[in-house]
Amino acid sequence: MNRLSRFLFCLLLVAIVGCGSEDNATVDPTVSGKELTICVLPKIKGIPYFTSCADGAREAADELDDVELIYDGPTDGDARKQAEMIENWTVLGVDAICVAPNAPDVVANAMKEARDEGIQVITWDADGTKDSRSHFVNQATAEAIGLAMVNAMVKDVGGLAVAGDVVIVSSDPTSDNQNSWIEVMKPALAKTKLNLVTIKYPGENSGQALADAKDVIKKYENLKGIFGISSVAFPGAAEAVEQMNKSGEIQVTGLSLPSEMKKYVKAGTVKSVILWNTPNLGYATIYAARALAQGKTLSEGGTLDAGRLGELDIVGDNVLLGDVLVFTAENIDDYDF
Amino acid sequence: MIQRPREFGWWHEVVLLLLLMAVVIGAGMFVPKFFWSLTQQLRLSRQMWEVALLSLGMTLIILTGGIDLSVGSIMALSAVSFGIVFEASESLPMSAVSCLLVALCCGALNGALVVWLKLHPLIVTLATFAAFRGIAEGVSQGAHYSGFGEAFRGLSHDNYLGISIAGWSFFGLVAVLTVMLTNTSWGRYLYAIGHNESAVRFSGIPVDGMKFSLYSANGVLSGLAAIVLVSRTGAANADVGSGFELEVITAVVIGGTSIFGGRGTVIGTALGVLLIHQTRKFVDLYLQAAEWTPILIGCLLIGSILVYRACSRDSK
Amino acid sequence: MISTFVKSYEFVLLAVIVSIVTVVSVVDSDFLLPVNLLDILTRSSAPAIVACGLMLVVLSGEIDISVGSLFGFVATVMGILLSTDHLEFPLLIGIPLVLMVGLLIGLGTGVLVTFGRVPSIVATLGLLGVLRGMALLVSDGKNIGGLPVGLQSATKVGFVGLPLGIWVAVFVIAFTAVMLKWLPIGTRFYAIGSSNYAARMVGLSEWRLKLFAFAYTGLCTSIAVIIDVPRLPRIEAKLGDGFELLVVTCVVVGGVSIAGGRGRISGVVLAVVLMTMLRPVLTFLDIGAEGEKWTGAIQGVFIIAAVVGDHLLTRFRSRSRQGNIDANPTELEGEPS
Repeated sequence: MNRLSRFLFCLLLVAIVGCGSEDNATVDPTVSGKELTICVLPKIKGIPYFTSCADGAREAADELDDVELIYDGPTDGDARKQAEMIENWTVLGVDAICVAPNAPDVVANAMKEARDEGIQVITWDADGTKDSRSHFVNQATAEAIGLAMVNAMVKDVGGLAVAGDVVIVSSDPTSDNQNSWIEVMKPALAKTKLNLVTIKYPGENSGQALADAKDVIKKYENLKGIFGISSVAFPGAAEAVEQMNKSGEIQVTGLSLPSEMKKYVKAGTVKSVILWNTPNLGYATIYAARALAQGKTLSEGGTLDAGRLGELDIVGDNVLLGDVLVFTAENIDDYDF
Repeated sequence: MIQRPREFGWWHEVVLLLLLMAVVIGAGMFVPKFFWSLTQQLRLSRQMWEVALLSLGMTLIILTGGIDLSVGSIMALSAVSFGIVFEASESLPMSAVSCLLVALCCGALNGALVVWLKLHPLIVTLATFAAFRGIAEGVSQGAHYSGFGEAFRGLSHDNYLGISIAGWSFFGLVAVLTVMLTNTSWGRYLYAIGHNESAVRFSGIPVDGMKFSLYSANGVLSGLAAIVLVSRTGAANADVGSGFELEVITAVVIGGTSIFGGRGTVIGTALGVLLIHQTRKFVDLYLQAAEWTPILIGCLLIGSILVYRACSRDSK
Repeated sequence: MISTFVKSYEFVLLAVIVSIVTVVSVVDSDFLLPVNLLDILTRSSAPAIVACGLMLVVLSGEIDISVGSLFGFVATVMGILLSTDHLEFPLLIGIPLVLMVGLLIGLGTGVLVTFGRVPSIVATLGLLGVLRGMALLVSDGKNIGGLPVGLQSATKVGFVGLPLGIWVAVFVIAFTAVMLKWLPIGTRFYAIGSSNYAARMVGLSEWRLKLFAFAYTGLCTSIAVIIDVPRLPRIEAKLGDGFELLVVTCVVVGGVSIAGGRGRISGVVLAVVLMTMLRPVLTFLDIGAEGEKWTGAIQGVFIIAAVVGDHLLTRFRSRSRQGNIDANPTELEGEPS
């Protein structure tokens, strides 16, 4: 390196050291001047499920004058990126971070560090490790979700007496959520006359999900039902059943937004759609985070004042949203998410 | 040592350094809390060491005119081995060794296919990119491994003068590689292979051996990066390292290394890594919209080449 | 002529396809049902069309790894232009616009590579990110449904018996084949790839060819979107993720040399069918839920085997044909066809 560049390099060092003398952990008011900054971190940014939760969160933030909402997340669902985002926000010194963890272990440390800095950390949609968050806004346990799907399928095929094959179309083999539901569904299915012949893993690839669903329809002649347990698998499976003209013969159920499945429900291909009120989930999360950031305690057995949702029960450290919903042809028009 | 004519060969690095300063100063006007604070910068610096380490190995490979798209997938397979061995043995050293061994085998496979079958590195590593991660998924059956303990976490979180062990290893490696590339015959051969491989072969230099060892070493480096990442996140599974290969190649190219080989420096790559990290943080902390990260980095990548082309044309 | 064919690489590909089909049919003869074979061909249409474009790019000595992100971006644009929920342009205006978008972006890529002198791997790596980010921004986290019903049914079911995709794919493949074999531009591609220097000495303008190749690839991507995406339940910004890996693999496995100058379209088409066949084959082989998690590994190892096999075959052929011990053939390999 010649003298010029060495000089410039030293200049850079001086500049950084000079500016770095502040040890900054105090919370500055955000640019907008609002009192509380609440960050909402979805598992994946850019898919309708979480976008609808975000809509609810935005609704709450708009209602509450003192809340500034930051909604951001990894577009590929990478848990490592989630941890990095939490670290970023910790540096900014926000008031509360609401995490929907893809992999609890991966984000646990970042969440704990945030809590050590005085930031309120709660989880929503999926829980983290117990010591990494103070509360969990819970809309449904893996148990409840898995059982709801199996019960819906049993009902749709015509009752417990009906025998036949079923297939689960999942997402990636590494998806924690889907795997936890499968763990519940396997023993539940064992109690019925429905035989789980295989599980397909098309990833988050819509074309692949459609293709895999079609393949299982062709392969298993005694197929009575397909579980589409991801936001990509469910519509893909329904589409496959329609394209193979098996509507009514092969039942399709799973988790998805009612808006995504409406056309299949109206066509009769899908009888039950399992989910919960996603905008309400986002809405309640903001209220819970805000209460904590304001210094209130959400104690066991108490309630959370959640705006238009009224009082939500607190059981242990869980704020309960309500029940798992089943959308059918009768009620699907009542919902706009 | 040959006395070279007094010409300054570090212009690209100087420009990068100035650009880096500009980005830090400019972004700091929006988020001074981070960009102008040494403490906070150091704190988030641990997010970049895996990519940083990988880009050093990638620089060497690209210098010889090759490429390695499978680094992320090698990370996945070695991370899974780490997890499986740890679950069975509860021993960190054993897990680390098996992790690095698996990584070495992966790198060696790449090297063998490139050197002995003379397949094009792009194609080979594209194929192994798919295969290694697939094998990781099959072997792990989608499981997540964790519970490695606090001591292991210290690898990525214990700070000495603000920088973790991983960070210091990176700087150490930069220094070592820079010396090796500029002052040893090994380094000169590397550049020569990138310029004109056949000529180097005719000179009797063991090109095949060098390339094979580069790919194998790159594999080991990926295994090392996997260990750092698993330490930082506390979990290992088949998803580890996904998307890394593109980030790494971007850092190397922005750093001034020619994709055709024969030109480039490790310091340039290091600056490229820092530049990308600062850009990411700007998106994360100010724009608050993750969609913009690939857009800005893509523009940075293409822009850097265009600027470089324009400048090198002027200087002629 | 038969003997030339038998010794050709395409024969090997065909033999592999036939062997796999035979094995699967023995396990489950349903594989041979027309509905299954037709489905596999329909799925192959989109990759085949894009592979035609990418083949030209690789023949001219370049590469394009941005086709997947371009696919996603064009799909999102198509959704916004045609969907009943958005702009709802009539097909006559919308379709040409969609084609233009792909063509222009492809042209832009070509300009970067030829005039910008940005190496194609770098340019398309950058574009991969830019286009993906743009697709996410434009879609705003929501999926797009409501495509014109006519387009949907044409792509799903048919249009004179076969899904639209197959007709269009046949047309594009035929057009590309004719172009490569009989039009002067075709032979120039082979010349450019095998020796840039020699070709330039003879006066062939490489920038025009490369520009054409990239623009053609962009156009092909748009065409692929039009015939493939309406089959899917709805349009997501993430569509096309990983598509570039599939298409580049098909081109290489199809016998097109990455060093340029060698390869036939028949090989590429066979490679597309082979790669598309893998997943349904695995379903029909009924490998079980644990086995399903090995799908990625099987596909990856298959690709390695194909690449190694192609290379060994080439060396064997060149050695036996010319008695030449040079392991790196640099002269024009075979005739373009």
